This record gives sequence, structure tokens and C-alpha cells, in this order.
Amino acid sequence: MPAPDFGALEQRLLLAGTAPAVASRMREELEDHYADLVDAGCAEGQSAESARHAAAALLGDLELLVQVAGGRPELKSWAWRWPRLASTVYPVAFVLALPVVPIAAGVAHAPAIFRWAGCALAGALVTAAIFLGLQLAILFS
Amino acid sequence: MAQTNPPFMSGVPELLLLRLLDQREMYGYELVRSVREVTGEAISLGEGVIYPALHALERNGSLKSRRKAVGGRTRVYYSVTSRGQARLGKLADEWRRVRAGVDVALEEPVGAGA
Repeated sequence: MPAPDFGALEQRLLLAGTAPAVASRMREELEDHYADLVDAGCAEGQSAESARHAAAALLGDLELLVQVAGGRPELKSWAWRWPRLASTVYPVAFVLALPVVPIAAGVAHAPAIFRWAGCALAGALVTAAIFLGLQLAILFS
Repeated sequence: MAQTNPPFMSGVPELLLLRLLDQREMYGYELVRSVREVTGEAISLGEGVIYPALHALERNGSLKSRRKAVGGRTRVYYSVTSRGQARLGKLADEWRRVRAGVDVALEEPVGAGA
């Protein structure tokens, strides 16, 4: 039996409205829990394969956890708890973020941008020199 | 007004978790095993119940958590806060009250109060 898909569990929790921090930590805790169950099975003398099989069976259907977590309002993300507020705040936040994102990207990749700008400047100078040479050749021919 | 106990049955996991964590800090796997042990295997809280309950208790301030590296793994250990201790006392009182009421009802001959 393959190990439970904890990534899919986290996605299911998020889709059920669970706060991202809670979903992420639950995933980590369950991965550890599964590893503990496998270790315990191996310590009891089971083969690694049968220990993994038993651990997955003991964990059972993780959909139950999604249902229980989804039924607890205190575990929901704020956007699920206050959807009208979220539908107001998110568009405003994105509009405010729009001009900031290119600047932030520029700062984060400043060395690459300087290299690109340097190359573009060098290219422009070479092109201008060629045009100047051609122009002079026309004038003095 | 008569006291009611609508959240009581759904509060059993919280009561057990708070009681166990009031004694020492533990992580999820330890708690699942401990609940089974201390209740003489009468109650077994599955992972599907225990983790949402732990997170909910932490969110309402009854528990606090910290990450601790043990044997190459980073575990999340939970412990009870002062607010959690107050909630534990309240839930324990509620449990004793309901248990006493149920015991009386079970010992009373049917129809004796009529």
C-alpha cells in the first residue's frame, strides 16, 4: 500500500476553507504521525512494507479529518469566515500591489537587470557608432 | 434556568486532551496512544479527531505549541495554558455533573418519579 497522499490532504483542507497555516501544520504532523506508526510497526518486528501497510490502515480515511476540520469555524481562514470583507480587501490589495510587484522584482533581480541594461547600452553605442560612420562616409564621399 | 449540556459529548476529546496535556507536554502520536492507555482502551481518538481538536484548542488559547527536534524529526509539542486549565476545570465539573445525573437515572427504578 502506498503512503497516504498528504499533499492531497493539505489541498482538500484548503478547499474546505481551513486556514493555510493550520492545513500546512496538520500535514506535517500527520506525516510525522505516519512515520511514527511505521517505526512502531518495524520495532514490533514487522517488515518495512507491512509496517507501512499497517500504518496507512491505522491512519484510515483522511477524509474524516477534512470533514472534522471543515466543521470547526475556528480553523477556517479569515476569508472563509468573512467572505464579504475578503471580496473587498483582496481587490484593493491587488491593485495596490500591482505597481509594487515590478519594483520588488527589479530589486530582487538587480544584478541581472544591471547586466541586461549594460548589454543594451553597449549594443546601442555600437549601433550609434555604425550609423555615425555611415553618415560620415556619405558626407565625405 | 436549568443547566444544559449540548456541547458536552463533543467536548469529550477536548476534556481528555486537556487532562493529559495538563500533566506534561506531548505531541499528536503520543496523545493518541495515551488516550487509549489512560481510558483502558475504552476510548480511542483517531487522528481525524485529535488534530482538529488540538488546533482548535490552540486557536482558542487553551493550548500552546512549540516545535522541538527529537531524533531527527521536528515534532509539535502541545501544553496547556492557564486558560486551558480553567477550561479543563469547567469541563471536568460538567462531566461529573452529567455522570452523576446519568448514574442517578440508571439506579432509579423506571417510573419511580411518576
